[in-house]
Amino acid sequence: MNQLVLVLFILPLLVSPLLLVLPRKARTFATVTTVSILSLISVYLYFRADETISIMLPGIVNTIIAGADVILLLYFGYIAIQRKSLLVGIMSVLQLGGVLFLLTKMPHHEANQILVDKLSLFMFLLINIVSGVIAAFAIEYIEEENCSEYRKRFFLSVIMWFIGVMNLIVSADNLEYFFLFFELTTLASYLLISFRKDEESVHNALTALWMNQIGGIAILGAIFMAVFTPGYGEITFSSLIAKAPTVGVLLPFALLAVAALIKGAQMPFSKWLLGAMVAPTPVSALLHSSTMVKIAPFVILRISPAIHNTMLAQVIIGLTAFVFLVAAISALAQDTFKRILAFSTISLLGLMCLMAAIGSEVAVVAALLLIIFHGLSKCMLFLNAGIIERIFHWKKASDMDKLGEVGPFTSLIVAVGFMSLLLPPFGAFVGKWFSLETIGAGLGNSQVAGALVISAIAIGGAVMSLLYFKVMGLIIARSGEKDKVQFESMPILFSSSMYILLALIFAGIISLPFMMGGFFAPVASDVTGLAVNVQWSKLTMMIGEAQLPIIPLFLAFLFLPLTMIIAMFVRFKGADRAKEYMCGEKVEYRLSSFYFNTEKVTPYFIAIGIIFFIGIVTVAII
Amino acid sequence: MNSIIICTIIVILAPFIGGLVYGIERKVKARMQHRVGPPILQPFYDFMKLVDKRAMIVHSAHAFLGIMHFIALWFAVAVLIFGGDFILVIYLHLMATALLIIAGYSTRSVFSHLGSNRLAISALAYEPVLILIAISVYLTTGSFEISSIFSMSTPLIAKMPLAFVALLLILPIKLKKSPFDVAEAHQEITGGAEIEYSGIFFEFLYTAKWLDYVFCYVLVYLFAANNVWLGLGLVAATFLYINALDNSTARVDYKQMLKFSMYVALPIAFINLLLTILK
Amino acid sequence: MKLSGYRKKSPWILHYNAGSCNGCDIEILACLCPKYDVERFGLINTGNPKQSDILLITGPVTKRSRERLVEIYAQMPEPKVVIACGSCASTGGVFRPMYNIEGGVDQVIPVDVYVPGCACRPEQIIDGVVTALGILEQKTKEIEKSHILHVAPLEEDGQVNRRHMAGTIKK
Repeated sequence: MNQLVLVLFILPLLVSPLLLVLPRKARTFATVTTVSILSLISVYLYFRADETISIMLPGIVNTIIAGADVILLLYFGYIAIQRKSLLVGIMSVLQLGGVLFLLTKMPHHEANQILVDKLSLFMFLLINIVSGVIAAFAIEYIEEENCSEYRKRFFLSVIMWFIGVMNLIVSADNLEYFFLFFELTTLASYLLISFRKDEESVHNALTALWMNQIGGIAILGAIFMAVFTPGYGEITFSSLIAKAPTVGVLLPFALLAVAALIKGAQMPFSKWLLGAMVAPTPVSALLHSSTMVKIAPFVILRISPAIHNTMLAQVIIGLTAFVFLVAAISALAQDTFKRILAFSTISLLGLMCLMAAIGSEVAVVAALLLIIFHGLSKCMLFLNAGIIERIFHWKKASDMDKLGEVGPFTSLIVAVGFMSLLLPPFGAFVGKWFSLETIGAGLGNSQVAGALVISAIAIGGAVMSLLYFKVMGLIIARSGEKDKVQFESMPILFSSSMYILLALIFAGIISLPFMMGGFFAPVASDVTGLAVNVQWSKLTMMIGEAQLPIIPLFLAFLFLPLTMIIAMFVRFKGADRAKEYMCGEKVEYRLSSFYFNTEKVTPYFIAIGIIFFIGIVTVAII
Repeated sequence: MNSIIICTIIVILAPFIGGLVYGIERKVKARMQHRVGPPILQPFYDFMKLVDKRAMIVHSAHAFLGIMHFIALWFAVAVLIFGGDFILVIYLHLMATALLIIAGYSTRSVFSHLGSNRLAISALAYEPVLILIAISVYLTTGSFEISSIFSMSTPLIAKMPLAFVALLLILPIKLKKSPFDVAEAHQEITGGAEIEYSGIFFEFLYTAKWLDYVFCYVLVYLFAANNVWLGLGLVAATFLYINALDNSTARVDYKQMLKFSMYVALPIAFINLLLTILK
Repeated sequence: MKLSGYRKKSPWILHYNAGSCNGCDIEILACLCPKYDVERFGLINTGNPKQSDILLITGPVTKRSRERLVEIYAQMPEPKVVIACGSCASTGGVFRPMYNIEGGVDQVIPVDVYVPGCACRPEQIIDGVVTALGILEQKTKEIEKSHILHVAPLEEDGQVNRRHMAGTIKK
């Protein structure tokens, strides 16, 4: 087992430099084989690893990590000087000072630096499978990019290396290691966002860099607090969480939560994720679906046993509920397809963090469901955005009103993707359902806040469905001439990645009732430390205290995506074909949609977001 | 066992009941305007006539989605009448509406698109209010199951009158009645999403409209579910209110509708939720 | 059970103004108002060709409206009847010699009932509709073609495509 886990870490890191030198065919082969191996290992580990795997690393690794920290921060400093960015410079200096200070003061315990529990295994599944699909997709995508051969190789190499780092970050137990991997993902995002090297890319990449560096500083602060608070001592996640109830100081967790929420692009820090749109599309897919932003719900899930039912958790719930609503509304103002998707990611991340912060059994199950299904759906949608860009050369949603005619396959996939985000058994629905179940049962003494959170979720969900309808409306329109659907042809790596994701989503829905007991519940009980009972009575599933009529639910909602697909192939032969009613006129027209203007209120949204962030820290200090 | 048989019968007869309600509604509306009005069985005559028309569609996917809309809506009504989970019922109804919206979007027809856009906006206007009402019901009865409402000692309307007010405010949106009939707006966009349907395919949408009546009036009935006569009285009063409103008001535009729902109906539902929590 | 009997009981009307002076239109609206209340026969003014049975045309056919009229006519599913409402719609009326007028509606599409009068009275319109209902009951589901401006519907793969029936002018 231990060796397999190490393979997950080392293999991508080893293949990554290889990709820099291999020719095209060999590169494709190496990438596809590597991601297949990684996926297989992650599946095998998930179903075979019964207990927590902890790996003790030799002392020399600690030294290497410390050295890497310093080198990385010096590199950030170099970037600041090269790009003349004051903010990045300040952040780098602050971090470097913090790291150097901590290195002298830090007590060195013989602790398990790598700890792979159920949650890590769960994240391995998501990271390796979904990112694997993206990596394969990227080979085809980057071929048509207007850049040198070396840059193309470099791009694939960074993606592979990123997968390795993500595998490491979800299994790091030592906060010092966690800090390094966190900063490495920041570096990866910087390299990928600035890939096109034009002015906008570099600017957005620098924004991403300094915002995420604030997260790094927050982690340093957490380490500092953990070291200097009497009682904590060891700086590993497991010992901090174990000692939290007795020590009662929540500040380290608050700072970790801040770092996580920045990575998750919650409201005042949403700019970096939106700016990431300038990068090639596989990057967006990678950042949005399986890696980077998923660190946010992951970390909150990790610390949820410690912050469960505290004031801190409630502030986080408030912030995320707010973001869920506001990001959904902001998305209505957007026209660029990728920006719409980005806002919906931010919104749903808010929901995931909310579920994780509630921390009850049902809520954790909901968060896990959301993490995995959102990953699959968003990945599919973003890769589709890439296909639309490459094959049809459209970027704006309002340009896509002919997509249903020229690219019915793409349009169908986008529609199914949106459906799967919108309606049960996954996406916003499960989150809403579960949160209503748990919050409805009572938020302790803050009932008014509970009512507000419920309302935010109810409205946010409705806004989100409006958003998806709006976009879907443009892309599925077909005129009567195109009664018989002929799917367009596309490169094999494009279509196969679509089919894999589609198959995974449908397999996920069909097996959901069985997976609930065998797949999600064990992870949830591992996270919360409580037993999560999944029982069946007639057609109802009981998770903890919540009752879900899951079988009618899933039957009913399998219906919707299936209906969309069947509708493509149904033919009514006996009926006449008539023209669309246009008052008898014959004119050329384009279809468009409505937009909400949110420019005026955006500053208020950001201000409220900042207040919430300050609130997180203050509440923890009090 | 008895109740299951009754429920099954009601579910099977739901389109007929809805058709009757629609027939009575046309009569009542005509009487309010001092007209004679069509016979009460008029909707069924329309039904038979539509079967007899030559079938005509724009494209097959569009026609198919219309049929699925009807089936999905019938399913939602069935779950509601059998006393299933309240939130599930709301979402099933949303799903049925979603199919209609998608059907409207799936053609390159201008009016159809306008209608679907407006349908989506109306869904935004009424859905949060319904969810808040559902949560209030949950806090009152302790279960999301609708059947638990039937076993209460006092009627729901006595416990949370504000929720009923909120429901009354959004029912015209849901039933596409004036002043909130932007989604249909016959004089303006000639029926919206249903415009491209004809003959036997329009039948499904026409009958789905009847099912919508059943759905909405059952929601009203729930507010006095433990007393049959009080419940029926409530339904009758609501019926008169909706028709009087339909006859006496002019259509507002979709922004005004959304604002009304967000600034009036939703706060009322929210206050109701607060009162239920604090009780 | 004969379904064709129900055609009579629920006639849905599409009203088209081909170039009228609005006199007849006002009378048609008067039919729908409380005094004459044609809704008691189950009649609805739909405004949508795809769901209507009776095409009620007012005014002479102008060159501009000709194509639209045929397009709308082609979009109505059979069985259907056409009522030419008023003198102008029947024959061209006082506008007949004008440069932009094609003549009565029957120059363009087949007409079943002519309602005379300038403007025709509501009673006459109701009488015309009742006569039309008698004709509607006898009609078959065969596609009727317009006199000019039509292309025969395409038949392929067991389906009839009437999307381009209102095509070009036949010389």
